[in-house]
Amino acid sequence: MFGFFARAAVGAWAVSVLRPVKAVAQKVAQSPVARSAREAIQKAFVTAQTPTGYDVHAHHWAMAIDVERCIGCGLCAEACKGENHVLKEPFYFRTWIERYIIRKPDPRSFELRGETLVDSPNGGIGGFPPSPVRKENILRTFFVPKLCNQCEHSPCIQACPVGATFDSPDGAVLIDKEYCIGCGFCVQACPYGCRFLNPVTKTAEKCTLCYHRITHGLRPACVEVCPTGARIFGDLKDGNEKNPVRVFIENNKVQVLKPHLGTEPRVYYAGLDKEVR
Amino acid sequence: MPPQITRLVYLTLAIVAVYFLARGFLVPASFGQYGWYRGNALKEIAALPIRYAGRAACAECHEEAAERLAKGSHQGLSCEACHGPGAAHAEDPAEAAPKPENSRFCLRCHEFNLSRPAKFPQVEADDHFPDQKCAECHAPHSPMQAPEDASKRNAKPVKK
Ligand code: HEC
Ligand code: HEC
Ligand code: HEC
Ligand code: HEC
Repeated sequence: MFGFFARAAVGAWAVSVLRPVKAVAQKVAQSPVARSAREAIQKAFVTAQTPTGYDVHAHHWAMAIDVERCIGCGLCAEACKGENHVLKEPFYFRTWIERYIIRKPDPRSFELRGETLVDSPNGGIGGFPPSPVRKENILRTFFVPKLCNQCEHSPCIQACPVGATFDSPDGAVLIDKEYCIGCGFCVQACPYGCRFLNPVTKTAEKCTLCYHRITHGLRPACVEVCPTGARIFGDLKDGNEKNPVRVFIENNKVQVLKPHLGTEPRVYYAGLDKEVR
Repeated sequence: MPPQITRLVYLTLAIVAVYFLARGFLVPASFGQYGWYRGNALKEIAALPIRYAGRAACAECHEEAAERLAKGSHQGLSCEACHGPGAAHAEDPAEAAPKPENSRFCLRCHEFNLSRPAKFPQVEADDHFPDQKCAECHAPHSPMQAPEDASKRNAKPVKK
């Protein structure tokens, strides 16, 4: 009993002594001299331009995808690479298109559907070759554009050991390149396969919803070039009746990828088949 | 208090002070602005260069093309879907204007593919006038009309 009080008293004393020490240290760190010194040091490593007049708290971006409209032209994947300087090799993608071909079941079996083939040659850039399965044997076939799902509860954010990836207040999950140590945990944690390690910068990379475009009033590059309106983009905090995502989500039954994981994606799909993961 | 303890206390205080001092210098100024991360990271990402200017930008100067496009079957298309990235040109028109690359670029969207939605207009490239260029019969900005340019117009008319 006595031991407890003694320890509590020492603790209280330590706190009361440390508090002024911390205050002094902070005062020194906040002094104009220290501040300019710090700014000079940080400037050597980072350059930042503020987008003027953009309020992060006034927006909540969301993407919707109409699977039934996608024609698999691959313009989105190509525009994404151009806009974001993604490496050209066919295994680095921030967005890509998958082709699903579901075969008819074997007539002697009791199954409803046959085997599913999924391919994505060069992420869909340059289009898709003719179907490898004959028309008579196909039950259903379609294209599915994929990108980072900008999850509300992102596994990648939880996996990052240095806090380099974060959920910005406007609904985009972003990566701070200066903090990323390139450990690759987030690449493994993402259940949608949306991240990769850039071998040049040695940092993780993924779709930012074209953050540099949306903060300047433009649509993401993939949405801009999509010819059929399969990709829909908008601001959930925009109450306008013509807000494209709002209209789309009101008029379609939407779904998200892998809902059982509880990641709560902010990319909504309409017309998904159960085979799509 | 015994002197050795006092010394220890001073040492501890010195270490703690150095810690807070170092922390004050090393933690970026914008850390914690929005959350447990560097607020300036948002600004850095937002400052990346833009390559696709957007349909509205093209329409500002190319009114005629934009109007024509808006009336035809290609109304849903953005200029840059066909022309490619044009932000550099939009900023400075002297910069080379983006042009559709080759004759196969129409087929990129219109080549028949089983996986495409059946209602999307598609052609079998080998059956649909394979020896001629698409632009001989289809005006790209209004594809159900024949091109105005007489030198490009083909004898075969397109349904109106
Ligand atoms: C600031 C005004 C401006 C904007 C914005 C602009 N252009 Fe132009 N564009 C011009 C001018 C002026 C010319 C003529 C230049 C010349 O002939 O040398 C031109 C020429 C062109 C040409 C070539 C015409 C020809 O006959 O060869 C194309 C194609 C073109 N623009 C496409 C675009 C696209 C696509 C965009 C949107 C990304 C765009 N332009 C945005 C001013 C603009
Ligand atoms: C379906 C694809 C497509 C779309 C969409 C498209 N263009 Fe074009 N555009 C072309 C083609 C093809 C040419 C002809 C190039 C050539 O003759 O070398 C062309 C030519 C042009 C020219 C040259 C002058 C002329 O009229 O022939 C301009 C300027 C131009 N486009 C502007 C635009 C603008 C602005 C938009 C958006 C409002 C746009 N284009 C959308 C395919 C397209
Ligand atoms: C980026 C994709 C894309 C490109 C490239 C493209 N188109 Fe189209 N085209 C479309 C879309 C989307 C439609 C509208 C389809 C609809 O109404 O459902 C369309 C409609 C058409 C139609 C009208 C079909 C109909 O029945 O209404 C014709 C003809 C056509 N395009 C010809 C061309 C030609 C010729 C070119 C090359 C100059 C071309 N397209 C390039 C996407 C494209
Ligand atoms: C010799 C002239 C000619 C050429 C060259 C030509 N077309 Fe056509 N195209 C036509 C005519 C005529 C039609 C209208 C057919 C009809 O009425 O159904 C048509 C229709 C189309 C359609 C609409 C099909 C549909 O089902 O609605 C598309 C898409 C199309 N063409 C694309 C192309 C493309 C892409 C090329 C270049 C590879 C091309 N065309 C070259 C004459 C031509």
